[in-house]
Amino acid sequence: MKYDLVIIGAGPAGMCAAIQAASNGARVALVDENPVPGGKLRGQVYKEPKSDWWIGEKIVRSMESKIKQLGVTCFLEREVWGIYPKWKVMLNNGEQLESDFVLIATGAAEKAIPIPGWTTPGVMAIGAAQVLANIQRVKPGNRVAIIGIDALSLTIAYDLKMAGVNVVGIYLPPLNAFSLEKSNPLKMIAYLSSLSHLAPNPMLKLLGKLGQIESVQKLGVNYYPPFGMKVWGIPLHLRKAVVEIIGNEAVEEIVVAAVDQNGQLGRKQEKRIPVDCACISGGLYPLVELANAAGCESVYIEELGGHIPLYNEELETTQSGIFVAGNSTGIEGAKVAMAQGELVGTVISIRLGFVEGGPELIKKAKEKVNLERENAVIKFHPGLENGRAKLERLSRIRE
Amino acid sequence: MIICRCEEVLLRDIITSIENGAETLKAIKMETRAGMGICQGRTCRVLLEQAIAPYTDITIQETNNIMYKNPVRPISLANLSRSGKDSSQ
Repeated sequence: MKYDLVIIGAGPAGMCAAIQAASNGARVALVDENPVPGGKLRGQVYKEPKSDWWIGEKIVRSMESKIKQLGVTCFLEREVWGIYPKWKVMLNNGEQLESDFVLIATGAAEKAIPIPGWTTPGVMAIGAAQVLANIQRVKPGNRVAIIGIDALSLTIAYDLKMAGVNVVGIYLPPLNAFSLEKSNPLKMIAYLSSLSHLAPNPMLKLLGKLGQIESVQKLGVNYYPPFGMKVWGIPLHLRKAVVEIIGNEAVEEIVVAAVDQNGQLGRKQEKRIPVDCACISGGLYPLVELANAAGCESVYIEELGGHIPLYNEELETTQSGIFVAGNSTGIEGAKVAMAQGELVGTVISIRLGFVEGGPELIKKAKEKVNLERENAVIKFHPGLENGRAKLERLSRIRE
Repeated sequence: MIICRCEEVLLRDIITSIENGAETLKAIKMETRAGMGICQGRTCRVLLEQAIAPYTDITIQETNNIMYKNPVRPISLANLSRSGKDSSQ
């Protein structure tokens, strides 16, 4: 089948691009591996700093009905296994979608932090716990330990608490080749201080304030209470690492050990804590496999999550006609993803000749992306601006 | 400690492979089968990049030289053989 635009990934970026292009008159195909569209946006629920609640599920539902109205063809529960010139999008049921324009909006995957016992049933990535609790409405466990401190894990700790889960504590991962900064108490205090005061839940807000004062940063680590500091009833441990996860058929216990301010294990005795679920948060990285296999050049920018396809201001990759939006462009929030989706939808509609007044529309769409970026409540990486500047430089050199 | 869950490759298998002369992700993959399972490295690829970094001159920046190849997702041979045949509408 031939389409004007094939979109891979029906998350916030993909859905917005579909709506934008289809409302301009484009024939759009939207592919997703899940049985329903929405991606991770469906799991997001938080109070906006200055306005109402942001309820992902509700936003998804309204976008879904627009997509139906506009006649976008949805291919759900279909995986894309390859993109061939120029361009053929291959689905795992043998179908093939043809288009001059392809948008890769495949989002991100979670980085693991291996700890002895991390493959025991009941250990999961933190994002899986959020999907279970907020989307499937299933408790991932009754006594849950969280390993890894970052904006995502703190937000989900709060979500789990709200869902009635006993979150026994948030701990550091042990110092090893995979945990790096995440095992370092001093680095983590500095990180907490970088979390915006606009952070969308009371836990992040409180922590952000705490870390802001430099003297507290140092004192906080040296005199950090051995029982942790309770935030919203959840003990946050900045001087304790989970060194092992124990269980035969399923998780039974975590082994916790005290660490010094650089994350080195002390001589003190280890303690075993009974849990039935452990969530590991190692951060997110953009899923680039389709872009890479299609021949798009990629660059490594740590602040954006790792390897990403090189793209220009209009979000087009080095393969003409292949675009990216959302977390495939670097790890940021849903609102940035949505604005990026609109930008791509606009750019492609103009190239297809469906709308006039191109430069002005594109300028507006770009401004919206920047505005959402400035107003973002959470910056996943403190060096995001730096990373974006690097990317823009590399993109200019390429052109 | 397991690094590649799909193929059950341990960290010490990877370190042994590096000590025996494997210098690239590809060499480690060929020797240990890490990254060759059902998820095709979606979990362990990032870990392998981190594991190899202290032992070799390859920086993580350069590891993207190892290309991804289609199919990037599992597909049955039956469906693969049908691919493209129903597009002649």
